[in-house]
Amino acid sequence: MSRGSGGGYDRHITIFSPEGRLFQVEYAFKAVKAAGITSIGVRGKDSVCVVTQKKVPDKLLDESSVSHLFPVTKYLGLLATGMTADSRSLVTQARNEAAEFRFQYGYEMPADILAKWIADKSQVYTQHAYMRPLGVGMFCTHFPTYLHIYTSTFAMVLGMDEERGPLLYKCDPAGHFYGHKATSAGMKEQEAINFLEKKMKENPAFTYDETVQTAISALQSVLQEDFKATEIEVGVVRADNPIFRSLETEEIEEHLTAISERD
Amino acid sequence: MGDSQYSFSLTTFSPSGKLVQIEHALTAVGSGQTSLGIKASNGVVIATEKKLPSILVDEASVQKIQHLTPNIGVVYSGMGPDFRVLVRKSRKQAEQYNRLYKEPIPVTQLVRETATVMQEFTQSGGVRPFGVSLLVAGYDDKGPQLYQVDPSGSYFSWKASAMGKNVSNAKTFLEKRYTEDMELDDAIHTAILTLKEGFEGEISSKNIEIGKIGADKVFRVLTPAEIDDYLAEVEESAAATRRTGKIGNEEEESKMMTGGRNYTRLSIDSQKVSGSVCTPRWFFSRERGVKISPSHHLLICFHKR
Repeated sequence: MSRGSGGGYDRHITIFSPEGRLFQVEYAFKAVKAAGITSIGVRGKDSVCVVTQKKVPDKLLDESSVSHLFPVTKYLGLLATGMTADSRSLVTQARNEAAEFRFQYGYEMPADILAKWIADKSQVYTQHAYMRPLGVGMFCTHFPTYLHIYTSTFAMVLGMDEERGPLLYKCDPAGHFYGHKATSAGMKEQEAINFLEKKMKENPAFTYDETVQTAISALQSVLQEDFKATEIEVGVVRADNPIFRSLETEEIEEHLTAISERD
Repeated sequence: MGDSQYSFSLTTFSPSGKLVQIEHALTAVGSGQTSLGIKASNGVVIATEKKLPSILVDEASVQKIQHLTPNIGVVYSGMGPDFRVLVRKSRKQAEQYNRLYKEPIPVTQLVRETATVMQEFTQSGGVRPFGVSLLVAGYDDKGPQLYQVDPSGSYFSWKASAMGKNVSNAKTFLEKRYTEDMELDDAIHTAILTLKEGFEGEISSKNIEIGKIGADKVFRVLTPAEIDDYLAEVEESAAATRRTGKIGNEEEESKMMTGGRNYTRLSIDSQKVSGSVCTPRWFFSRERGVKISPSHHLLICFHKR
């Protein structure tokens, strides 16, 4: 079989390698880690909390514009870990999709349906070697570029469901998505998951405060540094306030204090 | 697929005449989690391992066995995201058939249309084959049916089949255990035993999924509680025959009636057997006058005096 390796193209577009792997998908996973950010999500008894690092590389940058936490609807949040440009594009499409869902079906899009939609979109790009025109640049470019993996992002979707309670879903560039009790994405993903597995082993039912503090302390433990309130972003949904919101600096400060006092 | 700007197929013939991408897709299937299906005389059962990447994953949010229609279910081995695409397309095709002909789609037709989709992705421009093999279980006017569809788009009807990591062991096991007149409950027990064969770790209702369809023509995924019940039955019958001892008295024999099936414990003295070469099955039927049919399960335990 002289063409056993797929002619070398198995590394450039999404065709199978001889071992049945998709290299482009695996490279997309690596690209997420290269972004250098770690995120954590924890689901409690009646709330969900997501935490991510807020790295502002330049003091002249307006920090309020550096965010990975996006409201998709009033009640659904999305934490995108990975390439920022891909994240923004994904969020725009997700917002559109969620609004259409609400219009079409008459009720708010649940978190798991949104997660499925995101994952299905990612799957298409793992199967089609697409040549995607780059939006605005389409008219200016003469050479359309081959875009293979669309989303080098992990998307964590969180929301409160009327019947099922708090929901936390994570979607990856390969098109997988699962519901999680707690999860992590980004550079220190594996270390964070190990930490969280220990915490969640007995299936604890965390209160709102415990949920937030578990998430923040997981991040602190894994990155081995104590944060200032301005260095992290925290997003929550809770049963008594199902609107997705980003915590203010003062609230984050309170939680950080509670954590350090507890220790 | 018309919107792809690749006008050539990515799946092309190698000099030896093989379609290499399909072979690789089959390798991807072979490294997926084991799944299997068994066609009984009055129904079909399909089952799969459900190993999740971490204990943090909420297993209730994951369902690998899916409905295509109320009377057809499907399970896969291989890439989950590809499976979702096929499920969606198949459901749509089933619904289109129903709208046109005002009757539920026959199993063979749905399988054929799904297989056609999979074949298209091996020949169209700019796409790769699906990295999944499907086991489709259904019950229609032609009775219970089980089909396996491969990434190439070829499909066959099976009496019992397995796919994924443990395929060769599972198939060998199924070949030994399968009988034409098996009933649905027996088939479920056999399915669980087959999964147990190659299972890494402790089997439980949280890490397997079972779907069944009977003469009522309603495909159903079993709840974890029901799976626990079946697991307990399997465990009990295995434990009962593990206990060695003399020929049971009436009490012990009736204790072993599990799942409506009779178990008889027969013990033999090794001295009687020495010098003769025979299979245990033949020995029992000859020497003990016990009629042993293929559907009898024999568990042989040796114990030293």
